[in-house]
Amino acid sequence: MSELGVGRPTKRRAGAAVGGLPVADSRPVLDGDAVLGSRCTVCRYPTTQQGLPWCPVCYEATEPDRFARTGKVWSSTVVAIPVGTRRPPFGLAYLDLDDGPRVLVHLAEPAVLEPGARLEITGTDDGDLVATRMEQ
Amino acid sequence: MEQAMLWGVGTSAYGRFPDQRVESLAWTAVAEAVRDADIRPDAIDAIIVGSVFGPPGVATRIQRGLGISSVPMWTIENACASGTSAYHEAVEAVRLGRFKCVLVLGVDQMSTLFSGAIVPEATDPEGASSLPLPGLYALQAQRYVSEFGVTPEQLAAIAVKNKSNGMDNPRAQLRDTVPTIQEVLDSRMIADPLTFLQCCPTSDGAGAAIVGGDRGNPDDLRIEASAMVSGALWDQRSEDVWGFASVARAAQKAYAQAGRSPQEIDVLEVHDAFTIGEILTLEALGIAPRGKGAELAPSGHTTRDGVQPVNPSGGLLSRGHPLGATGMAQLAEIAWQLRGQAGARQVDRHRVGLVETMGGGAAGMDGNACVVTILSAQA
Repeated sequence: MSELGVGRPTKRRAGAAVGGLPVADSRPVLDGDAVLGSRCTVCRYPTTQQGLPWCPVCYEATEPDRFARTGKVWSSTVVAIPVGTRRPPFGLAYLDLDDGPRVLVHLAEPAVLEPGARLEITGTDDGDLVATRMEQ
Repeated sequence: MEQAMLWGVGTSAYGRFPDQRVESLAWTAVAEAVRDADIRPDAIDAIIVGSVFGPPGVATRIQRGLGISSVPMWTIENACASGTSAYHEAVEAVRLGRFKCVLVLGVDQMSTLFSGAIVPEATDPEGASSLPLPGLYALQAQRYVSEFGVTPEQLAAIAVKNKSNGMDNPRAQLRDTVPTIQEVLDSRMIADPLTFLQCCPTSDGAGAAIVGGDRGNPDDLRIEASAMVSGALWDQRSEDVWGFASVARAAQKAYAQAGRSPQEIDVLEVHDAFTIGEILTLEALGIAPRGKGAELAPSGHTTRDGVQPVNPSGGLLSRGHPLGATGMAQLAEIAWQLRGQAGARQVDRHRVGLVETMGGGAAGMDGNACVVTILSAQA
């Protein structure tokens, strides 16, 4: 009998990163000097989600918007285990963009940063947003 | 409104059982619950199953061995709260008079799906960015630590407490040794500040319960409250760490239903998938004020001989975490505690118990779902 679970599809969509089939990419998109997303036309709620039926806060219409690449760390960590094709250690942070949503970013340097630290999204790595600490 | 009662509970052992069938795990739990409730299987008039990774049609595949045919039956997936979400639906159905006796089952077999940590969901923005669940909890922990100054030793104390409790739980997955606080901190880092011994293992297992109306049996446990909430937006407007608000919402509903305050709860089983989870959950449940949850374990408040024992079973950190089964395992432990049947794990004061299960991981929401239920012994 072959080893259980090996070489068989599983219920979880693993995505191409761990050898599964590719899936639609839901990550925020960096477009030059801005992170793409949408904003409510009435309450101005910003989000990186695309194709929303309405504003999830006030139910009014949303329109595409562009958000600053800079913001403040909400929290950060360094992951010490491999995840998909990512090899440890790698740093992750929730970053509150200056005029926009909270986004998950990879840190250019794996280190725990204090909340409030200023970061700038400087690029992407295989579709992940990558942020770098800004000079004080 | 009918009074819903817990008639019986049962579980499998918890561990890695890749050679067992999913059905076998479930049947073990169901058989014990049916015996415990002292009913014939044909008294069951509905089946509700909670499972995250079960095969398609898992409920039917389990049903075919039970001889309980043609009754309404369905499967619920609410992440780690799948089992207790199924239980919640059973409670609501009995309360409304829809069914008289419902079999609730939670089951998952993770060892045949994952060789290590759970692979993040690739369709989710956070999952696609390689955020593993311990990473999400680590982000909670880092924010919480910066706000409230929690020490690494306070975090590690949760693991020591729960792993000590788990030594007396013959069904727990991990019960070789109790680590010291230093050993917890020295175990390999998973996601800073969470070390290996602060993370629950992935597991296989099942838990079952029989929920029915008041049949006049003094051994049945009174279900004083069952509350389930789904997630709400967790985003740049949120001052609370991820997951906190969903537990608080469910807790408020449950306390209101039961007419009880947090101080009236004698014993709790809460979702300690990671050490920080127990701290945040106990604050969200009102067992400790904001920022004080980390003091509960070191002070002895939540130890088995403390004022309000938390996770006397050993929690997820010892028992393991077969997602769909976890809530039912928690429920079974509280049932045994309230009836005085918990053996070496038995806590002194055991009239009122609480179970909390929070399932999450979908980016941008404060949880997929949270269930809080409060039960009491009649005697």
